Amino acid sequence: MKEVKVEVIEPEPACVRCQTAKKVVEKVAETLKHAGMTVKVEKVNIISKEIVGKYGLLVSPAIAVNGVVKVMGRVPSEEEIIRLMKEAAK
Amino acid sequence: MNEKTFRKARTTLLLLFVFAVVGYLIYTRIMAYSLAPTLEPKDFSNYAWYEIPFQFLWDYFSHGWICLLFAFVTAGLVYEFIPKQTITKYMSSSKVAGYALGAGLAPFFTVCSCTMVPLFAGILYSGSGIGPAITFLLMAPAANILTILITGEFISWEIALVRIIVSLATAVLAGVTISKTSWGKAIEKEHQTSTADTMAQQRVELVKIPLDEKLVSALKFGGFLAKQILPYFILGLVVVSYVEAFLPQELVGGYLTGVTGVLLASIVGGPLYTPTLVEIVLGRSLLQLGMSKATLLSWLMGQPYDIPNMVAVSRIVRWKVVLTYALIAWACSVSFGLLYGIVTSSL
Repeated sequence: MKEVKVEVIEPEPACVRCQTAKKVVEKVAETLKHAGMTVKVEKVNIISKEIVGKYGLLVSPAIAVNGVVKVMGRVPSEEEIIRLMKEAAK
Repeated sequence: MNEKTFRKARTTLLLLFVFAVVGYLIYTRIMAYSLAPTLEPKDFSNYAWYEIPFQFLWDYFSHGWICLLFAFVTAGLVYEFIPKQTITKYMSSSKVAGYALGAGLAPFFTVCSCTMVPLFAGILYSGSGIGPAITFLLMAPAANILTILITGEFISWEIALVRIIVSLATAVLAGVTISKTSWGKAIEKEHQTSTADTMAQQRVELVKIPLDEKLVSALKFGGFLAKQILPYFILGLVVVSYVEAFLPQELVGGYLTGVTGVLLASIVGGPLYTPTLVEIVLGRSLLQLGMSKATLLSWLMGQPYDIPNMVAVSRIVRWKVVLTYALIAWACSVSFGLLYGIVTSSL
């Protein structure tokens, strides 16, 4: 199984919904780690030049899996994150 | 029950709820019910001091609940269903499109500070530059979907419409002016990223979700907004109820009318701004107490400053730009207030 890198893209300081999104991702990551997957969660600043250069204009909260933005402007459900991570690990 | 039936049932229920809210609002319009509160300043003398806030709150919520519910539901739906990716792509493409989208779409995007600062920075960094970014920033709090709906229903649709038009003029003027100044240009140069936008767009492949999940997400967002705003709104109403009950009408009539009124409102409006709809309620109460309509417009316009957002933004663009747009916004609030007063003879 491949390593999965999840970036939670949010402003600094994080807005409430971004915090919720991050909690969901972290919870799922923890569960999947126990199941033997290699998951790395990273918090990145949405207004950093690097992120804008890499992904363009975004609406937070956004979630990128292995360098591709999959979710933006909403808080995803746990099942959705699990699905995304499992797909990425294939 | 299998998943398909469950989803169908959930979609139907959610759609029913949305249609019920919209339908009831339309029904109240057809039957010409008043959604605005009906208490007048003189009515307050019938109540003991501790009864005043309760009467005031009851007056607002018994008439206006459908309007508030509709505003939050709509805000959630619009935000969820607006094609974010298409917009972000065009927003960063060219100058003219940048201004148009910055101003035209700000109302839909910015009911939450989650989107405001990132989009501001995004517009600035990725091509359109500082002009459209400022336009977006100024347009947002002045004319977002919640504010427009509540202003329209609680005060008057004339004021709501005028507010949108003059906010638009102000926002574009401030954006264009700042993009011409040397300090504005310096910021723009400093922040422009050279990445080809097409490349960045390839790294965004949003997942599509089924309709029922979209609806749930939209209503959740509406609920989230309500949870964020309503406590402050209610607290604001309590304070405003005392203002309406005890502020002498002579004082309002003396100071909040004419040129003095416009000037005063434009200055006080800024620092007093809370992004919680309270400015609308306070404006309405002052209007009841004898403030002129021109002053009300200045009051509502003098408030495109949302302090937390300003702090975040000033970190990116520095104080000179912030000062410039604050000055332009203030000047516009005075001139449009006076102009409106003269045109409608309501100074």
